[in-house]
Amino acid sequence: MRRARILLASLLFTVMIVTGALSWATEARADEKQLIFDDAGLLTTEEYEELNQLANERSAERETDIMILTVDGPDAYDVMRMTQDFYDEYAPGYDQPHGNTAILMVDMYHREFYVAGFKKAEEYVNNQRADEIRDHITPDMANGDYKLAFQKYIEDVYEYMGITPEPDMGTDSNSGMGSGTSSGTSSGTGSGGGNSSSSGRGGGSGSAYSPSREADDSIFNNIWVQIGISVVIGGVVVGLMLYNAGGRVTVNGRTYENSSVSGVRARRDQYLHTTTTKRKIERNNNSGGGGFGGGGGGRTSGGHSHSGSRGSF
Amino acid sequence: MPVIEYKCPNCGSGMVFDANTGALSCQSCGRQDHIESISDPLTNVVFSEEDRTREYHCNSCGAVIMTEPETSATNCTFCGSAVVLGDRLAGKLAPAQIIPFSISKEQAMEAFRKWCRKGLLTPSGFMTANRVQSITGVYVPFWLYDLKSDVEVHGRATKVRIYRLGDYEYTETKHYSIYRDIHLEYVKVPIDASEKMNDELMDKLEPFPYSKLEQFKTPYLAGYIAEKYSYTDSQLLPRAKDKIRSFIDSYISSTVTGYSTVSYTDVDIDTRAKHAEYVLLPVWMVNYSYNKKNYIFAMNGQTGKVVGRPPISKLKVTAWFTGISGAAFLVQQLISLIIQGGGS
Repeated sequence: MRRARILLASLLFTVMIVTGALSWATEARADEKQLIFDDAGLLTTEEYEELNQLANERSAERETDIMILTVDGPDAYDVMRMTQDFYDEYAPGYDQPHGNTAILMVDMYHREFYVAGFKKAEEYVNNQRADEIRDHITPDMANGDYKLAFQKYIEDVYEYMGITPEPDMGTDSNSGMGSGTSSGTSSGTGSGGGNSSSSGRGGGSGSAYSPSREADDSIFNNIWVQIGISVVIGGVVVGLMLYNAGGRVTVNGRTYENSSVSGVRARRDQYLHTTTTKRKIERNNNSGGGGFGGGGGGRTSGGHSHSGSRGSF
Repeated sequence: MPVIEYKCPNCGSGMVFDANTGALSCQSCGRQDHIESISDPLTNVVFSEEDRTREYHCNSCGAVIMTEPETSATNCTFCGSAVVLGDRLAGKLAPAQIIPFSISKEQAMEAFRKWCRKGLLTPSGFMTANRVQSITGVYVPFWLYDLKSDVEVHGRATKVRIYRLGDYEYTETKHYSIYRDIHLEYVKVPIDASEKMNDELMDKLEPFPYSKLEQFKTPYLAGYIAEKYSYTDSQLLPRAKDKIRSFIDSYISSTVTGYSTVSYTDVDIDTRAKHAEYVLLPVWMVNYSYNKKNYIFAMNGQTGKVVGRPPISKLKVTAWFTGISGAAFLVQQLISLIIQGGGS
């Protein structure tokens, strides 16, 4: 009787979690729209589907279309103008034509790309933040790891869209230089996805948000990650219980050590030499941009203003 | 005469060692004799070669005592008298010291029941502990090693500093060569010398309270099973060295601190046994049958620590796993709700 009750309870619980997750997933899939136009063919079908789904999820949560376009071939012209023309003609937007949109335009022919924000995204993904995103994804673009770069782009836009921007100072993000606040400035090639880009934002001191909360925000919103973490916690705890069921060894070196005669008789720590490596911190607007006024935004011929940052790889 | 029995001077019944009082006691009339005051019959007896090969006969009933070759104390299979086989405890086989039992059979049973009830993953049927086949007090032969190790370590270590200057991030690595000459001594490292006993089980029983070590006297064995060692101290020395190797390693790393990375190029450990002592340590062996399978548990006869792998209930494992994972999931949901609520 008791056995049956436990079984039933755990079964119900599993069903609950799985159905919850599934309905959540299918819900997201039902109104999926195409946010990625991979004309250059940088992604495999699976990668495309995964990223398009991710973009849809993130877009819905921030009410902003997070789009990626890739082009190749000699027809490609200036990345910024292509982005502007696309926005004018295709009229993307989350809930209305010419609405909130972030665009990553990749020109494989000239090996340039442009990150732009329109409407709400113009405010939230401002020039400065677009620069940060560009710095964050440039190494992966250069390595040909397009999927990872696109993923980072989506997550970065998603995060920035959740943080009220400070008033644009008008200066580029190098203003922190020389102030010695090295803690918040190591953006670019940092390994951890969204977190490093966000902590690398700006000079650090006057931030109106805490980076850790922001990281929680992005992680804890993903139900699959939550389930994964839960299963790992459960597995580790039960594994430890199983391992310790037979009794533990409770002696260590101290138990039998005769400390009155044990000890270090001689020690030598000899300094040999120093090696130093240096790495350029890739965060400068003026370096790879191609000289469009520091890679800032502009106005489309259709009259829509936007923010942006351009880079080459 | 190799078979030793203790008869009560008052009533003639057999006397056994009482774990509660620490004295040789008569079960019939309650007489208690301090073990220190009893002269050990083994001290002035020399056994002839003939004695060794002979069969053992019970002094009470005359029956042949059935023993395994390792047994040095047991009960007569026919009349139940406690007998000590003297020739297996004399000469080279004489234990130097002994830790007597301080937990009696009843207390051991009670402690084992308590332990069973605490098992979180054991089947409920097991927890009632009502299928204990036997509970036997065994004096297990151990070697206590006093070991002396001279350790010489050569290695490389680095200190890494990362700083920023202008547009560059600098990683400065300072390289050091390190050397340590360490002298370590470990005393009374126990290694079980019985072939029958599971080494892993015996290791987990530690620590034994060495303050309770007494000079060996045969009356301590009366009423219990005792074994003689199957391996000599030199045969088991490699195991002892192996056992302290992890202690030595952690000692070495405790002397090398303040570095970002450390790698040892050469670790030279020279361990010698200063001394090894043959002792008998008290262990309650519990034989438990559950679901037609036999489980063996061991309990430290002084501290009451129980070790041994109990049966595992798949149902309970599943329940715990689901419960913990579910709780973790709910907590995360809660956190994300709070964050979203606070953030918007």
